[in-house]
Amino acid sequence: MKNKFTFLLLVLFYCSTLLAQQIKVTGTVSDQSGNKLSGASVIVKNSIIGVQTDFDGNFTIENVPNSATLVVSYLGYFTTEQKVNGLKTINFILREDSQALDEVVVIGYGTQKRSDLTGAISSVKSDDLLKQPAINATQSIQGKLSGVSIINTNAPGSEPVVMIRGLGTAASGTTPLYIVDGIQVSGISNINPADIETMDVMKDAASAAIYGMDAANGVVFITTKKGKLGKAKLSVSSYYGATTILNQVKMANASEYITYFNEVRTSLGSTNLLSTNQAYDTDWFDELAEVGLTNSNNVSISGANDRVNYFFSLNNYNEDGILTGQNLTRNTLRSNSTYNLFDNRVKFTQNISAAISKETPKPFGAFDEAYKQAPIVPTYYDNGAFGQAEWDTSTGLVVYQGNSSLNSIGNPLSTVYYKNQKDITTDLQGSFDLEVKITDYLKANSRFGATKSYYRSRSFNDIKSQYLTLNTGQTEDDFNALKAANPSTTSYADNSLSYTTSDSYRFNWDSYLTFDKEIGEHTFNVVAGITKGSKNDIFHTYQLAYDVPEKEQYWNINFASEDYEQVSQQYFSTPTHQLSYYGRLQYNFNQKYFLQANIRRDGISTFNNDNNTDYFGNFPSFSAGWVLTKENFLSEVKNLEFLKLRLGWGELGNSNVPFNVSTYTTSTGSSSVNYVFGANQDLVYGAALGASIYPISWEITKETNVGLDFQAFNSKLSGSFNYYNRNTENAILYVTPVYTSGDQSKYYDHGAEVLNKGFEVELNWKNAISQDLSYNVGVVFSNNKNNVENVKSAYDGQTGGSLSNGQITKRLEEGQPIYAWWMWEADGVWQTQDEIDSNAHYGSPSPGYLRYKDQNEDGVIDDNDKKFFGSYIPTYNFGINLGINYKDFDLTVDAFGAGGNKVYNGLKSTRIDGGENIAYDTYANRWTGEGSTNTNPGADRDSYASSYYLENGDYVRINNITIGYTLPTVIDQISKIRVYATAKNPFLITKYSGFTPEIVGSSSSTGASGTSGIELSAYPNTKTFLFGINIDL
Amino acid sequence: MKINFKNIQGLFFLGLLSITVSCNEDYLDVSSKDALEQEDSETVTPEQMVNGVYGMLTDWDYAFSYLGITEIISDNADKGSSTTDSGGDKNVLDALTFTSSASSINAMWGHWYQSINRATTAIIYAENYGLTDETYKNRLVGEAEFLRALNYFWLVRSFGAVPLQHIDLVKRQPVSDVYDYIEQDLLDAIDKLPLKSEYDSEDLGRATKGAAQALLAKVYLYEEEWQKAYDMANNVMLSTQYSLHPNYEELWRASTENGVESIFEVQARGVSTAHGVQQYSQTQGARGTDGWGWGFNTPSQNLVDAFEAEGDAIRMNASIIFRGETLWDGREVFTVENDRYNEKAYSSASAGASDGDKNIRIIRYAEVLLIKAEAAVNLGLDAATPLNMVRNRVQLTSITNPTLENVWSERRLELAMEHDRWFDLVRTGQAESAMALDGKTFITGKHELFPIPNAQLIQTPDMEQNPGW
Repeated sequence: MKNKFTFLLLVLFYCSTLLAQQIKVTGTVSDQSGNKLSGASVIVKNSIIGVQTDFDGNFTIENVPNSATLVVSYLGYFTTEQKVNGLKTINFILREDSQALDEVVVIGYGTQKRSDLTGAISSVKSDDLLKQPAINATQSIQGKLSGVSIINTNAPGSEPVVMIRGLGTAASGTTPLYIVDGIQVSGISNINPADIETMDVMKDAASAAIYGMDAANGVVFITTKKGKLGKAKLSVSSYYGATTILNQVKMANASEYITYFNEVRTSLGSTNLLSTNQAYDTDWFDELAEVGLTNSNNVSISGANDRVNYFFSLNNYNEDGILTGQNLTRNTLRSNSTYNLFDNRVKFTQNISAAISKETPKPFGAFDEAYKQAPIVPTYYDNGAFGQAEWDTSTGLVVYQGNSSLNSIGNPLSTVYYKNQKDITTDLQGSFDLEVKITDYLKANSRFGATKSYYRSRSFNDIKSQYLTLNTGQTEDDFNALKAANPSTTSYADNSLSYTTSDSYRFNWDSYLTFDKEIGEHTFNVVAGITKGSKNDIFHTYQLAYDVPEKEQYWNINFASEDYEQVSQQYFSTPTHQLSYYGRLQYNFNQKYFLQANIRRDGISTFNNDNNTDYFGNFPSFSAGWVLTKENFLSEVKNLEFLKLRLGWGELGNSNVPFNVSTYTTSTGSSSVNYVFGANQDLVYGAALGASIYPISWEITKETNVGLDFQAFNSKLSGSFNYYNRNTENAILYVTPVYTSGDQSKYYDHGAEVLNKGFEVELNWKNAISQDLSYNVGVVFSNNKNNVENVKSAYDGQTGGSLSNGQITKRLEEGQPIYAWWMWEADGVWQTQDEIDSNAHYGSPSPGYLRYKDQNEDGVIDDNDKKFFGSYIPTYNFGINLGINYKDFDLTVDAFGAGGNKVYNGLKSTRIDGGENIAYDTYANRWTGEGSTNTNPGADRDSYASSYYLENGDYVRINNITIGYTLPTVIDQISKIRVYATAKNPFLITKYSGFTPEIVGSSSSTGASGTSGIELSAYPNTKTFLFGINIDL
Repeated sequence: MKINFKNIQGLFFLGLLSITVSCNEDYLDVSSKDALEQEDSETVTPEQMVNGVYGMLTDWDYAFSYLGITEIISDNADKGSSTTDSGGDKNVLDALTFTSSASSINAMWGHWYQSINRATTAIIYAENYGLTDETYKNRLVGEAEFLRALNYFWLVRSFGAVPLQHIDLVKRQPVSDVYDYIEQDLLDAIDKLPLKSEYDSEDLGRATKGAAQALLAKVYLYEEEWQKAYDMANNVMLSTQYSLHPNYEELWRASTENGVESIFEVQARGVSTAHGVQQYSQTQGARGTDGWGWGFNTPSQNLVDAFEAEGDAIRMNASIIFRGETLWDGREVFTVENDRYNEKAYSSASAGASDGDKNIRIIRYAEVLLIKAEAAVNLGLDAATPLNMVRNRVQLTSITNPTLENVWSERRLELAMEHDRWFDLVRTGQAESAMALDGKTFITGKHELFPIPNAQLIQTPDMEQNPGW
């Protein structure tokens, strides 16, 4: 090093004698976050004059011609130029080139240079994650990775649905495998996004096969931050945000509601109509939703020298939802460090994190009620009680204690008010890795990683107050009389209190050897190892008691009344054990030809039953890469620096189904295996055989991937293209038994093939026009076609998508996308009674009802007339990401869109009483008499599932607009201050008539057969405006 | 101190080796912790398995689907609830325009087969468990046989020829074979089951000899085996276990549960942990401000007319809650949505609780008397005595020479809203005319049987559909 420097000085000295008008230029080179870059090269353009920056990023370059241009380059950063023009001090800030081919990508039990990849792996860097602040990093990567479809939900604490290359399973788990710093975890909601350095997503089977039967849904790697070489760095950042509803549906107001209601009544032949002169005109959404406030504070200390590398961070995140009282607070702590021992022959790494979340959830059903409750109902009566949908049929007015109800919808404010729940979740996660260099080319790692989670939920239910709210006019004395008359009947307890606790543990212990050697132009890398793991090891308790004191401080089961039998439940789950052997061979010749082979032998306890003792499976994969630009015929092509062709094939498994063993069904509660016997009517326990057990094993997914990576125009343009064809050969279905068999419940069996085909494009254009101005444009596009084939006969026709009113909307059938929409086709509106009488109809419709098409023309409308209408899963999605840096300003705009699917407006379709409120559009477009419309039903209508309520799910949303300003260095100690403002989800463009076409479905049924794609009581999409500051010391 | 790096390496390999050894593949032999494995049969007693068969009677299907295919479909009741609330398929059942896709029919079809499966499993389990007490074992087997017969009876009178589970799941067996199988189960159960009074107090509510005899009498009635029906009804009477409860108004209240008139009823409790026929009282509870339920299965004007024609105020007021009425327990039913509600589904203590204390009477002594009366008319024997016992209790005058029509009319009023009307109408051939009077079109040759559910035909396309569907 020293010699080199002396040499450079000599060169400089030599040059000085040749050139006139020369000056000495000094300066520093740093990255955008203020880190000094040592070893960056600073040269005078079109000359051999140049230096390298020292350890602190400083350089001094002598004898520079006044008119010269300095060029600064550094590995992984954009090369930057600046005219000297007599300046004696020039400081360079280099922009990171995040898609550089030299970046390191995590591939499981090792890393690889991007340029060496033979599989399809997409990555997101820390900077991109932080541009869209969120509590969960997966929310921030929507639209940034091709082939990764993310259905976001804006509800605090809820996890987005992540789908990699389509949905390949009907009944098994659908979440990808998450690996944080090498250890398998169940999710990443406990990880502070600011702690994440990179997220790498393995999309193809050729790469993911190293994770065998856990990998069929893709693998997401999270690598948390480490210290960077240099002195200790302290970073502080904060942001504050305000959240409101995006895309509010306009509801009918009081007078519109009254018109609509009276039309329903008139059509039904009732003469009790609402008066047009009502006292209230409530905007329920306005009353219900508040501005939610978010704030996050982050502190980190990091640094490294050649012996120790450390990173420590603390984060406090606090989010108030848009419902009153809905709050989520999360505190996280992380400590990552690496110690190099014995002359770097032994490396010990520990990553430890703790996350404590406190949440007071509120029922999202309140949004459903806000949509449906009549605007003429008051929020509160004059006496302070919650308004109810009661009216007086003689005066037609909404009154306290009426003689009839407009509908059976509750007051959304009371629903939110009476929900009293508090959840605390603690996650402790850690990994310890010992790496020993045995020889220069052989190292051994042993890594133990574990997660321990504790969950406690308290729920208090004020039964008495809710009774008095619902039964207007009843007094506390009335309630107490009922209570006295019905002792030990829990409907008349004052309150109930329940505690649910669970703790869970999972671990993985990996041990592997890595052989890494170059022999001439041949480079070999071989990994071989074993893993032992356990998950789903849960201890669960539930306690329920009645009549505890009203004061919160005494909410202990110990203070509950003895008049009511308490409920106490406890169980251990059946853990899942896993044992795996794996190996990988990577070979390349001269960085031109690449070959890779993976093999994993995976064993899992899930399928260990009498019928099936073979619970080991082998998952091979092969892939190859060819860098065409290294061939003579392409090396001359102008402006094409890099072009690589990739080809891969692999086999993956999905073992995420419940423990497969024949069991008895038993219960200690009110269950249909139990019964009541005896003069005292005792609850007596019974039992029944559980579901039938078939000798199933993991699902096998085979995938072929063809890809292309390129870089051109001086690295300004880069991109990749992938085509894939994946087939889940033996998809597991959750089958309804043949009815006559009398089998008690649904069971798991292999029964179909699920095919996913598609292509993905990622393009990036980056350019630095000058030292002051640089920009980048990124586009990702993914396309997916989903299809179910070869369904076992008798398994065809499983239904799903329940609207909770007896109507179903989805069905699994050969030749259709998985659980495709299946319902009657709306075929206009009945105009006259004659028309109804002379055509096939269902039930007893009136004019104004939707007409359903008699597909088989048998004169009867039944299930045989239902038709398929495509899938809820988008067939394409895309993201556009723009970035501009001008001097100290930076601007980012990200957009995301998806489409090709249909979504079901359940809020609009599910009406029970005919007294629910409607959207303004429903009111304005309704049928009002013969000839008025043949599209939209009248006020009086049925609520059967039909294609009328199925709408296009296409949308485009601006995810993020951020404008930032980095202050010029003002104080020596502070290397950087950046302030920014962000608009998160400011615009949504969609034709969908509900709140959002992005619908995850209720948490209990997120699979394809559940309510995904059906808006029943979805938390509306929200927009957030944030202000933040980052300070680096 | 100087540590030899070679030693470290050695230790490390030792560590790796120890993991490899500990990775014995026994590690994958995990056993179920949260559910009892079937191979561990010592954990579940035969009695529990039999209890599980009874448990099926408490299922939600009986609180909703069952209402649709027994009462709402008939002239006794209307769908109820709000006009715009279809109740799934209750509106089309009420209008008699339902199709093979009707979810209520599918629900009961599957439910009955599930119950039969549980009963068969329980019988095999009890026989092979190694019980040494023969009487006890026989009783358990008898209970399950009774329940299996009950479910097959419900199936055969609804669908006609149905598959017998032990023979084939797809091939429908002739109606006579199904009845033979039911009789065989009941005759065996009669042998094995104790009398009501022979049970311990804690076992009150289990199937008895009398229950099996009463059910068999009813089965014979459907088969038109008049003499056998007569004899079997007589056996129940001669057992001296049962009598009419003097006050009809109290018949469906908590106070008369398992009383003198009770032969078999579904058991329920309202106190914590409450367990009954899930939501039975709630679905049929009055709807509206003063209500406590959903307001389905409302007694029809047609039924009121029938009571009034007979001058039968006692049974009318005991069976129907009228809007504006103050109930016997003081509950005021003033501002409610429908004109009438089913009083037999009303629970004073549980009201609209999702798990209530309502015991559903499946067979009671009055019905046995009416079976005997109907058989007697057909046989030319004394029908007046049993019929008039039922009539006199509710202060109706005696009929000296009863006709079949007299007995059928009595059945309607006595058993109103007890889930028998539709099948009585079909059985006695009155369905077409009764439906016409109720403004519905009963298609002869079609509506006598429910359609085999479409969902079943999707699973087993080879199964034959009933005529007309």
